Amino acid sequence: MSLLEVQNLQKNFEETRVLSDITFSMERGETLSIIGSSGSGKTTLLRCLNFLETPDAGRIVVNGDVMFDGNEKNTYREREIRKKRLHFGLVFQAFHLFPQYTALENVTLTPILIAKERKELNAAKKEAIIAEGTALLDTMGLSDRRDNYPHQLSGGQCQRVAIARALAMKPDILCFDEPTSALDPELTGEVLRVIRELAQKDTTMIIVTHEMAFARDVADNCIFMDGGVIVEKGKAADVIDHPQEERTKKFVSRIGVV
Amino acid sequence: MFLTVTSSLLEGFLTTVRLFVLTLVFALPLGLIISFGSMSRFSVLRLPIRFLIWIVRGTPLLLQLLIIYYGPGIMLGNNVWGSGDNGRFVAALVAFVVNYACYFSEIYRGGIQSIPVGQQEAGQVLGLSGRQIFFKITLLQVIKRIVPPMSNEIITLVKDTSLARVIAVYEIIWSGQAFIKSAGIVWPLFYTGVFYLLFSGLLTMLFGRIEKKLDYFR
Repeated sequence: MSLLEVQNLQKNFEETRVLSDITFSMERGETLSIIGSSGSGKTTLLRCLNFLETPDAGRIVVNGDVMFDGNEKNTYREREIRKKRLHFGLVFQAFHLFPQYTALENVTLTPILIAKERKELNAAKKEAIIAEGTALLDTMGLSDRRDNYPHQLSGGQCQRVAIARALAMKPDILCFDEPTSALDPELTGEVLRVIRELAQKDTTMIIVTHEMAFARDVADNCIFMDGGVIVEKGKAADVIDHPQEERTKKFVSRIGVV
Repeated sequence: MFLTVTSSLLEGFLTTVRLFVLTLVFALPLGLIISFGSMSRFSVLRLPIRFLIWIVRGTPLLLQLLIIYYGPGIMLGNNVWGSGDNGRFVAALVAFVVNYACYFSEIYRGGIQSIPVGQQEAGQVLGLSGRQIFFKITLLQVIKRIVPPMSNEIITLVKDTSLARVIAVYEIIWSGQAFIKSAGIVWPLFYTGVFYLLFSGLLTMLFGRIEKKLDYFR
């Protein structure tokens, strides 16, 4: 059984159809890259998976559990959506770190709040959460930055904190929405390196990106989207190096693989 | 004479401070509730509240004081405020609370709406509830942004309390003015100004401290 199954997902904004008939599946440990020009619906797809947008039709199934079904969407309450969200993590293009918390606090805030809510928080639990957050920042190469506030960090460091913050919730599937697009070119490398390491550790990931070489080398599979539909999907190397569809060919040659 | 004036002014000043403090105690939270109402998705809630804010901000506080104090007695034939000094004080307090809550609500609204939506979305995708997001993520950022306009408004309130004398609340200017008639001297009025200056100076320092304290993040 696939870890994630997306079936015939559809989303409209007012009269405009931004996603239509999106169908794909992912296995555990797989890395999937999504490429396409702006306005092709990539970001909207990620936002649907993270319940920041409600699709108009289709199904999202994780591990056999139905997360979303267009036929019964009115029954979903905030409580349920919150639980379902924990299957997914999202790293934003613009980081959205919490400015009043240090790097470490950004990572530990949510686990602590949720433990408190479940009445599981005690000194030992808190210590464990902090140890885990510290370890996560270490793997991001930020051991000397844990007590810095976001405004004291570079963009690349902020994005790595944001990745640690998402990982702290142990999502089944971690989504990246153009994680390097807001960064200066010399800072993209450090973020891509971290994502590459995650891929090697078999983290299940969906990465929306404009970094074509990265999309090819790190991802197992690749989806090319245009005008709200999946034009082509397959092995990442095939889609990017030997596209079959005319629209993919055009896009790849226009963007170029560096 | 100086001592007589000082003690008389202090008595008036006590009323001024009481009115000031109690107005803040009620208007600060009420303003937050009103701001939520004014941002509500439900127009049955939003529109009446926007209307109320328009009325309150669009008419003089002096007029509101008069209407709130005299209105019920004349229109309903029933002075709901009770008799004597205390009744007048309560009427003045209600007028101030309503007026300032509306002004505060607009400051809150501006503060809340200035927080990038990404902050809320980041909290949502992490699995936090709306309440957790508001109290643990948004609120402090809002407070940081509204300290300067709030301090402005609160210092205005210090001076606005003097309007309560129009319904014979014996605040400090009333006390000072009384000496014109009783002793033929005008300097106690200048003296009241010293009280206001010291009080607003103190508040300015306090707000400066709060601003500094919230300086650690951006």
